[in-house]
Amino acid sequence: MNDSMSIPHLIMNASTVVQLVMLLLTVGSILSWVVIFQRTFVMRRARRSHQIFEERFWSGVDLNELYRETPAEQETQGAEHVFRAGFREFNRLLPKTRSPQSILDGVQRSMRVAWSREEERLTLHLVFLATVASASPYIGLFGTVWGIMGSFQSLSMAQQATLATVAPWIAEALIATAMGLFAAIPAVIFYNRLSAESGRLLGKYEDFAEEFHSILHRNLQGRTETATA
Amino acid sequence: MARHDQRVGYGLPVILAVALHVAVVVFSVISLPDRDPEPTSSSIVQATLVSTETTTDQAQRAEEARARAQAREAEEQRQAEEAARQAEEAAAAEEAARQAEQQEQREAEVRAREEARQAAEAEAARRAEEAEQQARLREQQEEARRQREAEEAERQRQAEEEAERRRQAEEEAERQRQAEEEAERQRQAEEEAERQRQAEEEAERQRQAEEEAERQRQAEEEAERQRQAEEEAERQRQAEEEAERQRQAEEEAERQRQAEEQRRREEAAQRAAEEAEAALQRAIEGESEAVANAQQGQEAANSFINLVRRAVEQAWVIPLNVPQGASADVSVRLGPSGELFTATISQSSGDSAFDRSVIQAVEAAAPFSELRQLPATVQRDYRQFILRFRPGDVR
Repeated sequence: MNDSMSIPHLIMNASTVVQLVMLLLTVGSILSWVVIFQRTFVMRRARRSHQIFEERFWSGVDLNELYRETPAEQETQGAEHVFRAGFREFNRLLPKTRSPQSILDGVQRSMRVAWSREEERLTLHLVFLATVASASPYIGLFGTVWGIMGSFQSLSMAQQATLATVAPWIAEALIATAMGLFAAIPAVIFYNRLSAESGRLLGKYEDFAEEFHSILHRNLQGRTETATA
Repeated sequence: MARHDQRVGYGLPVILAVALHVAVVVFSVISLPDRDPEPTSSSIVQATLVSTETTTDQAQRAEEARARAQAREAEEQRQAEEAARQAEEAAAAEEAARQAEQQEQREAEVRAREEARQAAEAEAARRAEEAEQQARLREQQEEARRQREAEEAERQRQAEEEAERRRQAEEEAERQRQAEEEAERQRQAEEEAERQRQAEEEAERQRQAEEEAERQRQAEEEAERQRQAEEEAERQRQAEEEAERQRQAEEEAERQRQAEEQRRREEAAQRAAEEAEAALQRAIEGESEAVANAQQGQEAANSFINLVRRAVEQAWVIPLNVPQGASADVSVRLGPSGELFTATISQSSGDSAFDRSVIQAVEAAAPFSELRQLPATVQRDYRQFILRFRPGDVR
């Protein structure tokens, strides 16, 4: 492989449009990798904290104590956030109404709001990853088509159409497609993985919310029975 | 539980992403150029030369070629000398012809001048005669005029006499009665006579003036003629001088041309001597150079054979059912610039489809224009070679 066909040389000698395409793809690739790393860390941390919280929740600790242990609402995440929102609503509604149904409704509503916030937090930037995954092959393909157009234009001016006159142009044009694929493939893979992960976490949160809701329901049921009895 | 570091910042992911890309770039820059891209091509065509020549053989051939070239050169030189001599002879003949022509021309000029002189003399004579004739004519006219004038005078004189007679008769008749009148009349007649005489004198003077003018005119004409004759003579003299000058210039040019030729001959002789010297030098140097040439030619020829073999390999479409171990030899003859003259099967494989494919491969790979890049000494040796096609275990 001679020097004129090395990849940096080809990139430096590419036409302006192809170079812009390559720059765009490089930026997209870097940003998508930033998102991938960041989301991976977030997911891993959320999973671990959820595990810890569940262990603690099911360890038979008193709910009031657990509520007092957790910090302010803005700093809590995941299932903890859902628990805090639901339990706070339960505590607020309990002295105000006698109807257990309305209490449970209010608790469920506030837990759904918390869950929705958690969903938003987990799936943040995943849309960008999806965009990069779907668009960058096309962008790279555009660069390739443009480069091949240029190569054929230059070929029309050449006297002899040998492979050596076309080869650098096509190689340079194909680099754009390669870069598009290079940006798109990890984005696709990690988008699927991260969205699956976030979906699984959100399912766990939902499960937890249902369980917590049933606990509260049981608690209320017992309380009304004691009150009637 | 450390809640505060649950928020994940973007610093570490950015660093990681950039590091990943840098790693990819470094990998692509470093590892791709180092990768060996050349697949080892299995040689399926074996090209062998008709004449594989040793170094000494090459040298001999080169020597022979040089000798041939020298002989050719000598022959050429001889021919050139012959041509030069012929050209000289032709030039001499031409020169003679030109001289004869010049002689003739000069004679013709002299003749022409002579004729011109004679013509001029004749002209002068004719003019003089004419002038004389005119003068005679004028004299005759003069004579006639004088006679006429004399007659006139005679008539006047007779008239006078008549008048005198009449006067005398009248005087006689009227002498008494008109003495005074008569005197008067006489005086008048005298006056009349006087007037007539004066008129006569006047006429005489006029005639003389006319004659004078005529004489002057004739003198002028004569002078004019003389001047013209002189001019004519002057012109002729100038023409002669001009001819003389031209002849001298021609002679000068002839002398120069001869000197030039002499110089050229000398130069040619010197050049021939130098060339002979150089040929001797070359002959001395010849042996070692021939060996070096042969070696260089061998290298170039090897690369040429490789090129031919590769081109033919690429163009060869091997037919499907070739018998195992089939092999065909193709004798190829190339033109001086590498174009294909003939490609014939010198040893058939026994399979006509295989033979055809082999011939087609050679035809498709032609022309082998790399032949022109070979040194001239070995080009001739590589214009004919045999290619052996053996598919082996390809497929």
